[in-house]
Amino acid sequence: MHSKTVRRRRALLIGLVVLSIILLTAYFGESPNGGLHAVQRDFLTVVSPIQDGANTALKPVRSVINWFGEVLHAKGEVSRLRAERDRLRSERVAEQERSRAAREATSIADVEASANLAGYKPVSAEVVFETPSSWYSTVDINKGSSEGIAINDAVYNGEGLVGVVTQVAADAAQVSLITDSEVAVAARIAGTPDWGIVQPKVGDPSHLVLQFLHGKAEVVKGDIVDTSGMISPEAQSLYPAGIPIGTVTSIEESAYTSINIRPAVELHSLDLVRVLTEVPGARASRVRSSLASLPSSRSESAESSSTAESAGTAASYAQSGGGG
Amino acid sequence: MGLSASHGKLALRIALLVVLVVFVQVGVVSEVPVFGVTIELTPLLAAFVGLLCGSMWGALAGFSIGLIVDLAFVQTLGVSSLLFTLIGFWAGRLREARDPQAALTPLAVGVAASAFALIGLSVIEFLLGVEAPVSLLLLRQIVLGVVVNAIVAMPFWVIVRRALRPSLPKDPRRRRSRRAYSTGGLSPLSRA
Repeated sequence: MHSKTVRRRRALLIGLVVLSIILLTAYFGESPNGGLHAVQRDFLTVVSPIQDGANTALKPVRSVINWFGEVLHAKGEVSRLRAERDRLRSERVAEQERSRAAREATSIADVEASANLAGYKPVSAEVVFETPSSWYSTVDINKGSSEGIAINDAVYNGEGLVGVVTQVAADAAQVSLITDSEVAVAARIAGTPDWGIVQPKVGDPSHLVLQFLHGKAEVVKGDIVDTSGMISPEAQSLYPAGIPIGTVTSIEESAYTSINIRPAVELHSLDLVRVLTEVPGARASRVRSSLASLPSSRSESAESSSTAESAGTAASYAQSGGGG
Repeated sequence: MGLSASHGKLALRIALLVVLVVFVQVGVVSEVPVFGVTIELTPLLAAFVGLLCGSMWGALAGFSIGLIVDLAFVQTLGVSSLLFTLIGFWAGRLREARDPQAALTPLAVGVAASAFALIGLSVIEFLLGVEAPVSLLLLRQIVLGVVVNAIVAMPFWVIVRRALRPSLPKDPRRRRSRRAYSTGGLSPLSRA
């Protein structure tokens, strides 16, 4: 009895497996118009109305299940999209920052090329702090004496002259902007030999005024004003020649001619700047400061050992008002 | 497996269950993806019929389910029949040879049946030359399919057992244990 059952069971299994394989082989081997395909089509014809009915009847059930699934999916999708939005936003900001830095680097390179500043060993720095006053007269940068920056070094960016270093620490420095009342710059009308002193305009420190103009050049609105590079025929300025300062906006004729200038640099949004660390005028200025701080006897001996050019520069500097 | 009246009733119940489950599979379950895959009730049904009714019923039910699935889904005829026949037979033999009593036996059987069906289907389709890339995505689909089937295995087992139980042949072992309780020899109540 037992062996009969076993035999029957095995025979059934083998029969069904063989039948399946025959079906598989025949179906796979025949053309789409073959008998098995026709049976499948007929089955579908018979069953499809029932399937349609079932589909219609069960649609609410499916919809409910789908609704739960879609809600869960939507929640996951919201989280994913939020993360993607944040990622894209930060990528966009980074891209804008890269683009802005590239533009700034290009314009700085242009200024350096036109004013031939490469020989003054410029050092790049970032503005890390602006004086929180309406005047924005000083800013702090993230480089200091460890990078060779010293007091009286000229600071500029891709738009033009920014200011001068007035305080230095190891890894930071304070820059007084050209709109600071303590800063004066020897300047000229670009393309002419006539030079004067640029200072903040009294009562409107965000604008500059060019005064004490030596020369007879005709100045018109829109002329570019840049650094002259010297404060007298013998003395060099803190600022090398050719760095743009601003554009002439108006000319006031009185006892002295005063030329109003709009600064070339947007001083409220400074970021990347360059500091000239090897300007002869700045070196001479530092020597003068050192001499002034020595006791009188030592000062005399030091003064006697300093170069005639330095002495001449000091004299001219004092004569022109001490700033530039 | 003589063709007695009880066997006829069981065959009728299995046939109705098979048709119903295949239609539910086609009409509802296949339309509702869970974790990106669909629940496959048909290999579970083949396995559970085998587990409840034995290897011969399991093999016959598996073949029938496979045939209807292949016809309804317009697949290559014989593929699902072959796989489900083996699943039903194996589950039946498991019951006949070992008669596992653990509560999670249906879950384990369902997982094994689902894995065998999904892997077997992929292998056969691959052997038949269907252009399906063997990739991590396919592996992920198989694993997720098995996981999803494992989730529904126990509730589906309860439904299948309830549907078939009235026509199932009496289990001699269960009769013996009932008799043992009724005589009082092994009843916990008699010992109290």
